Amino acid sequence: MTATENPPAQQTAQTYRPSTLQRFLPFIIAAVVPFILGSTTGDLNFWWKAVITVVVLVVVARLAWKWTPRGELTHREDMRLWRTPSDRSWAALTMFGLLVLPFILASDFTPPMGFPWATWFAVVNLVLIFAMGAAAFNLLVGYSGQISLAHVAFLALGSIVGGVVGVQWSGGNMWYALPAAALAGAVVGAISGLPALRLKHLYLLLATFGFHFVMMLVWREYLQEYFGFVGIRFKGENSPRIASWLHWLPGIDPDQNGEFVITGQFRWYWVLMPITVLSILFMVNVVRTREGRAFAAVRDRDVSASLLGINVARSKLFAFALSSAIVSMSGVLASFYIGSRGEDSFNVQTVLNYAIIIVVGGFSSIQGAIFGSAFFWFLPEWFKWAREELWFVRDIDFLSDYPSEIDLAIKGFLVVIILMFKPDGLAGMWRDFKNWLGRTLARSNP
Amino acid sequence: MLLAFGNFTADPSVNLQLLIGGLALGAIYAVVALGFVLVYKSTDVLNLAHGEFLMLGAYFALTFLISENLNFFLGVLVLLLVMLVFGLLVHYGIMRRMVGQGFFAIVLITLGIATIIRALLLIFYGPTERARLDLLPQGSFEVGGATVRHVDLIIFAVVAGCVLLFFLFFKYTRLGLHMRAVADDIEAAAAMGIDPDKVYAMTWAAAMVMAGVGGLLFGHVTGAIDRSIEAIGLRAFPAAVVGGLTSLGGSIVGGLVVGVIEQFANGHLGTKWREPVAFSVMFVVLLVRPTGLWGRKDLERV
Repeated sequence: MTATENPPAQQTAQTYRPSTLQRFLPFIIAAVVPFILGSTTGDLNFWWKAVITVVVLVVVARLAWKWTPRGELTHREDMRLWRTPSDRSWAALTMFGLLVLPFILASDFTPPMGFPWATWFAVVNLVLIFAMGAAAFNLLVGYSGQISLAHVAFLALGSIVGGVVGVQWSGGNMWYALPAAALAGAVVGAISGLPALRLKHLYLLLATFGFHFVMMLVWREYLQEYFGFVGIRFKGENSPRIASWLHWLPGIDPDQNGEFVITGQFRWYWVLMPITVLSILFMVNVVRTREGRAFAAVRDRDVSASLLGINVARSKLFAFALSSAIVSMSGVLASFYIGSRGEDSFNVQTVLNYAIIIVVGGFSSIQGAIFGSAFFWFLPEWFKWAREELWFVRDIDFLSDYPSEIDLAIKGFLVVIILMFKPDGLAGMWRDFKNWLGRTLARSNP
Repeated sequence: MLLAFGNFTADPSVNLQLLIGGLALGAIYAVVALGFVLVYKSTDVLNLAHGEFLMLGAYFALTFLISENLNFFLGVLVLLLVMLVFGLLVHYGIMRRMVGQGFFAIVLITLGIATIIRALLLIFYGPTERARLDLLPQGSFEVGGATVRHVDLIIFAVVAGCVLLFFLFFKYTRLGLHMRAVADDIEAAAAMGIDPDKVYAMTWAAAMVMAGVGGLLFGHVTGAIDRSIEAIGLRAFPAAVVGGLTSLGGSIVGGLVVGVIEQFANGHLGTKWREPVAFSVMFVVLLVRPTGLWGRKDLERV
């Protein structure tokens, strides 16, 4: 996603400039059509909507591709986040997909062969939360090169802040807890990054792992002091509420007392998706700034970076603070979404899960964090479906006897295999696929 | 810590008991730390799967010594041989391809191996916990009002013996010399005709055998054999770091120091302080002297 990874702009003889309307029109279509499709009820059945969706997908992708500035680019055009036809096309497709997805999942469509459509919504929401946290982890470990295992400590910090600010002080107001968690995460993250000024690689990893255990002690103490063994409940009367301005969204009816409680997958999606998308776009943009380039320089060789005039200490601490702030926010979201957090919510296995997500998705790529968390949460669902429905899998008793263990084994083998043979992970495979697609398209219509 | 020592008024026998318990725990830590040090010293890999290796050893000990009911020495021999084969498997199957990869990628692949071992043990042995091993002498005797278990003394002797054995091995055998050479400078060693591949394989095999010994010993002192005993691998980190990750003798001293500190924290502050205090000690050692008490210092070239 970084600017340096994009192929150089094609130096075609002809310079082409779309008008401002043309530049934005595909994105406007992608933003509007899902809501029209979602608000029409009764008169259009599922299959007609599916056909319209596919048609709009193709049209949006084609228009975004076509109406891209070409030829000699100005500096301003060259610095845009979505610069090439391919970037703009995928961005429009992703936007359309993210907006249309909740309406598709909320429809009462039953796919053939008992495909686990109904469970997908919960999985998608979990993927959104985990993608945010994993992307922040990747920013710190992969992009800035500061090895840290204190990731789960900040999820716990987010839960603590959610418990103090969100539950104890304001009775379920997530909107105070989120900025508070970001602030607390930034401060504590900068403190946890202090060893990075002196230690590197292995020793930094061990030091941050020590921080993990200290934070676990704080978490257990906090739980015992205020909540006891049941843990914090983020649901019921502590469910997050929101101002009722979201009522205009199709499919969302106002509650009886004018209050808008975030429950149910559909509402959660509209809360989680914007937060995740904005924070990931934020990280993608940070990487493109002066600070972001300083991260990479410090990662590659910190002494050389200091000779270039980069304040190495500041850069390292900033990376820790930024990553920890976003991870803490995802911790708040996860606490409120999952609904309860207890003594054993955070353990070494959670650290392992994030490592699996990052490795499978692709190390040091923010895109990879999204792919990795999607894979991590969808694999068990698909595996469960295959065990129950597919005839050639259903008859293997061994698989149905040990479902979760085999799931774990599959993940472990995948980590090993991907690290051995395909270190770029799913993000690397996606890049290869895009390159292949570009070559094929170029060959078919030159 | 000063606070803790400031307000204790317990009678000396309690403290003696804590000291002895700490030394016994420290001996176990030393066994585990020795495994870390062996691998890190010659292959520069931080093996986060060592706790799982140890768990593998404990479960195999269960199979060979209890279920198959083999003669003790024969069973231990079989156990160590199987672990040796597993060590070779880890090297030739996985770690061999990772030589020269980034540091964190190798750490992550050991985490992947750990996950696989945990899942396979769950599949083949099930989640039910087993009673701990009882093949070594189970008695105990009293010293100044404190109880000393025979098992702890045996563990202590075995650890000391292993360290001595490895020390002699590194100092006087040809393979030990090769290992030290590869650890020092792999390219120069390869140019001198040493096969680093074989040396690495031997290292992993040795670490796995140490894990087998550790699993056998830890299986005698743990509460029960179940999948939670892998945590010993992580809890032994402070011991390895305090002693220095490249020093064999350091691992035994570090293990004892951390074990005693942990037991005193346990006795005077409460169980929940064990891990934080141990890791804080590690933290301070890392900040003050990152290479540990006896570790090898590296110079970095820009």
